[in-house]
Amino acid sequence: MSLRTAKIISLLVTVTGAVALWQGATFTSLGSQQGYQPAQPIDFSHKVHAGDNQIACLYCHSAAERSKVAGIPAASTCMNCHTQILKDSPEIQKITRALASNTPIEWVRIHRLPDHAAFDHSRHVSAGIKCQQCHGPVETMERVQQFDTLSMGMCVTCHRTHRAVTLDENGKPVITSEATPKRLMASTDCSVCHH
Amino acid sequence: MSRRTFIEMIGFSAAALALEGCRAPEQKIIPYLKQPVELTPGVANWYASTCGGCSAACGVLVKVRDGRPIKLEGNPEHPLSRGGLCPVAHGMIFELYDSDRLRQPLIAGKAATWDEADGQIAQKLAAIRQSGGGVRLLTKTIQSPTSLDTIAKFVSQFKDGKHVVYEAFSTGAISQSHLRTHGIAAIPSHRFDRAKLVVSFGADFLGSWLSPVEFTRAYTRARELRDGQRDIPQHVQFESRMSLTGGNAGRRIKVSAAEEIQSLLLLARLVAEKTRAAAPTALASFEPSLLSREIRLAVEGLAARVARLPGESLIVSGSNDVDVQSIVNFINQSVGGYGKTVDLNSTRTGSANSDAEMVDLVRDMNDGKIAALVTLGVNPAYDYHAAPAFIGAMAKVPLKISLNPYRDETGSLCDYSCPTHHFLEAWDDAQPARGVFSLNQPTISPLFQTRAYQESLLRWSGGQRSFYDVIRASWKEKLFPLQTSHKTFDEFWDHSLEDGVFAVDPPPVATVRFTADSLADSAARLELRSKSLSGGVVVTLYEKAAIHDGAHANNPWLHELPDPVTKITWDNYACVSPGLARKLRLEEGRVIQLTAGAATLELPVHVQPGQHDDCIAVAVGYGRTKAGKAGTGVGVNAFPLVSFYDGAFSYVTGGAAIERTSMRVEMASTQLHATLDGRPLIKEFTLAEYTSGGKAEHESEPKSIWKDYPYGDHKWGMAVDLNACTGCSACILSCQAENNVPVVGKDEVRRQREMHWIRLDRYYQGGEDDPTTAYQPVMCNQCDNASCESVCPVLATVHSSEGLNMQVYNRCVGTRYCANNCPYKVRRFNWFENRHDDPVANLALNPDVTVRTRGVMEKCTFCVQRIEEVKIKARNEGRAIRDGEIEPACQQSCPAKAITFGDLADQRSKVYRLKHDRRDYILLEDLNLRPSISYLARVRNVEEA
Repeated sequence: MSLRTAKIISLLVTVTGAVALWQGATFTSLGSQQGYQPAQPIDFSHKVHAGDNQIACLYCHSAAERSKVAGIPAASTCMNCHTQILKDSPEIQKITRALASNTPIEWVRIHRLPDHAAFDHSRHVSAGIKCQQCHGPVETMERVQQFDTLSMGMCVTCHRTHRAVTLDENGKPVITSEATPKRLMASTDCSVCHH
Repeated sequence: MSRRTFIEMIGFSAAALALEGCRAPEQKIIPYLKQPVELTPGVANWYASTCGGCSAACGVLVKVRDGRPIKLEGNPEHPLSRGGLCPVAHGMIFELYDSDRLRQPLIAGKAATWDEADGQIAQKLAAIRQSGGGVRLLTKTIQSPTSLDTIAKFVSQFKDGKHVVYEAFSTGAISQSHLRTHGIAAIPSHRFDRAKLVVSFGADFLGSWLSPVEFTRAYTRARELRDGQRDIPQHVQFESRMSLTGGNAGRRIKVSAAEEIQSLLLLARLVAEKTRAAAPTALASFEPSLLSREIRLAVEGLAARVARLPGESLIVSGSNDVDVQSIVNFINQSVGGYGKTVDLNSTRTGSANSDAEMVDLVRDMNDGKIAALVTLGVNPAYDYHAAPAFIGAMAKVPLKISLNPYRDETGSLCDYSCPTHHFLEAWDDAQPARGVFSLNQPTISPLFQTRAYQESLLRWSGGQRSFYDVIRASWKEKLFPLQTSHKTFDEFWDHSLEDGVFAVDPPPVATVRFTADSLADSAARLELRSKSLSGGVVVTLYEKAAIHDGAHANNPWLHELPDPVTKITWDNYACVSPGLARKLRLEEGRVIQLTAGAATLELPVHVQPGQHDDCIAVAVGYGRTKAGKAGTGVGVNAFPLVSFYDGAFSYVTGGAAIERTSMRVEMASTQLHATLDGRPLIKEFTLAEYTSGGKAEHESEPKSIWKDYPYGDHKWGMAVDLNACTGCSACILSCQAENNVPVVGKDEVRRQREMHWIRLDRYYQGGEDDPTTAYQPVMCNQCDNASCESVCPVLATVHSSEGLNMQVYNRCVGTRYCANNCPYKVRRFNWFENRHDDPVANLALNPDVTVRTRGVMEKCTFCVQRIEEVKIKARNEGRAIRDGEIEPACQQSCPAKAITFGDLADQRSKVYRLKHDRRDYILLEDLNLRPSISYLARVRNVEEA
């Protein structure tokens, strides 16, 4: 095979390969964990807690109001109710045993941003953004999965389109998409997230 | 299909599979079982505590994120340090996570348990109690009253038990001289804020002497330029080497060591004449045989001025010669300084050290009188002037216990190593000056199997109580009754713990009476000593602002911090004057053999402008042989040049011989050009120019091809007051700790690849023989018309809507165009992957700042993570950001308060006001970069007395 033919063939192979494998998400969501739904050490159902029983997200993930991270509730938080409810269930027994033996529960992390991206839960929660906006309908999930891509595009789209949060007469934040006072706009400066 | 195509296809399918399998490795989240109420993950808690870096015991606030301390900041409530910190304090975070610290007790160098060590030590101590052998506890200066009680209790169990305090770089002569002149062995408080005239004889009080943070704060506070101020205090420095303090003096008089002594004696004589103080004849008849007419005139002028300012002048000396300090006391006494600028009521408490006791101890050890030696925080096998004699004497002590946290030179000679905690892991208290009490609380559980030395001593004294209970009991008994605002002790304790400090007016000490009896001898001895030091080269030893006596030498942050004066990192060297260098054909980096006394050292030469021709200055604290990974083998140990003279260690040795060798080394310096050469980088006024309405010039607005940015609510800016900045370099390390700035090592610094985000420039003006010195911190100027932004091909450096010049690490591909185009030269490039493979050291990283990888440019961000944090907090609370609420790391702990950050869009902000001060100027203004940083010109009081 001459060098020329070899070049043409290798180019063809590369292009056809790329087209064949191009299924939209392959490259755009490179490294994305969208749909990630690992098994957890305890069969905890968000559907039962947040959906059927209407427990507020912030009851367990209380740090989301005050901190960058939403936090995973301490085992003792579970026992606020489960010392009374379903205390004999084998899954609850795992928590009881963890507390008794002083071994913390190792949950598998689902939502994860790269180290060079800083996201602050408290700002978004107090601006009135619903948890579901990024995390999806968690209250319907038996086992939680990553709903969105959590990519930069997703953040920036929202920062650009919603643009703004205003405060209503009660001081409650309201999302509007109209022109709003500049100081309440969501910023798209790089350094807001990357520092 | 050819082999080549086959490989291509295989390669492609492998890549496609790899893309599909691009899943991050599984990560765990481990929440608490029971979450402590005060803790929210991701939110920092702050605890007030006390710095254990040196005996100055400054107040600190410890930032604790998710259970680990990551930053020390100054405690603004502390009455002495007032929110400032020094470079050493910032380095303490690194030391906490130093994996070279001992991880458990050792018996004869082998790992053991505490029970084993305690059992054996208790048995041996019991035998000594029976036999009545000598027991010595050898420590550094300890400022903690409760720890001193514990120590006293420990040594009192033995018939011949004693606590000996040893400082390798001693200031013991100050307390010894007060014993002679005022009948009290104490180091007074020096009140630089009250002095209208400071005369310092070689005391580097802004750099390393006694309590530099407190002194810097007081010194700069007295020099703040408020509107309408007509006068700023004068500072005259007599010195032979070039010190940080000398560089800040209004007037610096270059003298040899001999002339320094004679100038002091002449000043004493003239002041006595003018104030009619009774002076002994030896002083009254003193004739300054060695002083030139010029120096004599200067001293005469000073004497007149000192006499005109009763109670408002302060004389200090950095010498550790008891005679010199006695004469200093005499002058301060004659001009009414005691009770005003020199305070013997709020003395530095601690355990005043006497160098003679250390010499006695070595003699007793040699004589076999010592049955047990316990060392704590001291390392005489390295830093004692006659270290081989000490090591020999150690061999004659049957029981040797080291409480040091490292297995250092002395620790490795000991039978038992019982490592104490790092101060951030332990309970303690401190009394840095009488009436000022501060608490030291643990901010992390001990990382290793270490134990607080107080607990060890309590246990070996047969006690069962924990040291925490002892401190509480002691505060309840001694301090609680001194106040009335809290009804219960618990309330008082909680309040003190929250503030970190509790201050009362100290009860007056028994009246001290001045006696001049010893002065005749002192004056006579000093005249002889000055003559013996004249006519030859004198070696002067000094402490650097970061390394001090070498106790923290295993800290790469401290080693890589450029020395404030020489700008050299990772080394000590022989500073010689330009004149001496010419005479001996020495040039920068030439290795010389320096012989003085019984010791010979091989050191590279640093040619130091402004130094006296008869002086060679060498820093101590280097040349450790068992410091650890970072500190072993850096520099040369200069302690063998110390001598013991008149009951005190002397750091001045005459009759030095210099031999030029054929070797040359390249030192790692961060500044290669030291002069301004007419460039207006530094602007200075004399006091007269300033008071007559002097104004820093601005360029007329040049035409710009750029449009102005439309800023919104904020436009961040900074003002750096060069009149306040002393060049102490604490900001550099504060920034390093906050922003995860890596250490690159000596070789990389040599290639000008240091990573510090702040460069502290030092310039000499005037001739090299007697220059004035100016300091200027330069960090990213956050320009509006930034020259870096326009050349980045990938938009990795762009302008923010609030005036910041953002560096986006994840976009940067490392072309380095920006750094080449930056006229301030403040951008730093990661030439190599900086290793982060020490899991313990990684705990020191700030989780709010990205750790940069190889090939990425970085620079000062104005601590954008702090800006964002405050912005989020203010918005969550639905309020505006308060002026001064955002403090970048450099500003927070600046002891001189030289840096002001704020919002230039807010016309009521402090930074806006400073920006419109008449001293305001802009660095390289003619380039029209419109930086957000501006400098305030320095005003120097150069009046000739």
